[in-house]
Amino acid sequence: MAYSNFTLETVQKEFQLEFVERAGIFAEIEPVIPSELLTTLLTKKVPLATTINTEKARSELIVADVLFELWEQFERRISLFSGIDFNVDAEYGLTGMCDFLVSLSPMQSFLEAPIIVLVEAKKEDTAPGLGQCVAEMIAAQRFNAEKGNDIPCIYGAATTGTEWKFLKLEENRLQLDMAVYSIDRCDKILGILSSMVEQKA
Amino acid sequence: MVYNDFTLETAIKTFQLEVVETLGLFSHIEPIIPRSHFTTDLKERLQLAFAVNTDKAKSEFVISYILFELLAHLDRRPTLFSGIEFNVDPEKGLAGMCDFLISLYPLSFIVEAPVSLSVKVPNISGKDESHIIGLGACVAEMIAAQRFNKTKGNEIPCIYGATTSGINWHFLKLEGQSLHIDLALYQISNCDKILGILSSMVEQKG
Repeated sequence: MAYSNFTLETVQKEFQLEFVERAGIFAEIEPVIPSELLTTLLTKKVPLATTINTEKARSELIVADVLFELWEQFERRISLFSGIDFNVDAEYGLTGMCDFLVSLSPMQSFLEAPIIVLVEAKKEDTAPGLGQCVAEMIAAQRFNAEKGNDIPCIYGAATTGTEWKFLKLEENRLQLDMAVYSIDRCDKILGILSSMVEQKA
Repeated sequence: MVYNDFTLETAIKTFQLEVVETLGLFSHIEPIIPRSHFTTDLKERLQLAFAVNTDKAKSEFVISYILFELLAHLDRRPTLFSGIEFNVDPEKGLAGMCDFLISLYPLSFIVEAPVSLSVKVPNISGKDESHIIGLGACVAEMIAAQRFNKTKGNEIPCIYGATTSGINWHFLKLEGQSLHIDLALYQISNCDKILGILSSMVEQKG
């Protein structure tokens, strides 16, 4: 059992989450204008990624660039990880690799608490990424608590690169924004991610 | 059996390749100066990728970034593929996922012949020798590309390959049964050289 085995349904039962679904939970957040470089790159990379249409290409050409921009905008006061093993509680299936993970610690050489955002990349549909992402968020919550570095909320995103869905976990209350945010509004996505990092979302 | 199961030795034996080792086979190739934002951005990306130190991070933040820059410098528009299944002859182990692959065919919905370049990111994190370990898989992918091109009736004289951890790059060339291995290591600090070599490969001049 690992993160990837969870669906929204199983993760909700296993960890007895209270689900709140609403469209537009993060819709009012102020956009953050991306750098000119990112905008230029994305106009070329998005069509390439969607035609190649593998999770790897979508991660490399879109998701990594968006998160790299986030990392730069916070001037490295946060840390960004990609493809690391994040084993927290094997008994509950909270083990496996995380696609992307953002921590509020500036330490980049190894993972330190508090973890704030988890991003799960998928090839064509964000839905299969949701359960997995929630499991990772729960693991992050436990990891932070263990390290004595608890924060009130953990955030998550499931994305195909072109479409983003966002989540918020507060104790055992999980909020799922039913709205889909498109990479066409990269400023919106960066705004939401930034406000998550600032713990204001 | 898939690409990743091949070592350099088993690939050479299985496909009866004649090996020609040269130091600096590609060293004479003209460098290509990357666009101005690229070099500064790359430095940041390298720091991040090597702090995280996973193959995924290196592929995402460094290698794909370089290959994307390569596309911007090419007159003809080849297609870059990433993470696709490239199953050519599963019986012979010519199957599995290719890290990166460049086809001279200008459409990217499907892999079409001719495939000219295969780039391997060996999945051994953090080891200095990791680029050597990827050589066998890369050679197997080059053989697969050669056969694929032939099947599609679109043969080209040479297929090229590269293995890299992001920092060190190793280059290969396959011409018929002759496998040319450049013993020189090209480093990312000379990114202009690496771009030059990759570009000459795509243009079939390498």
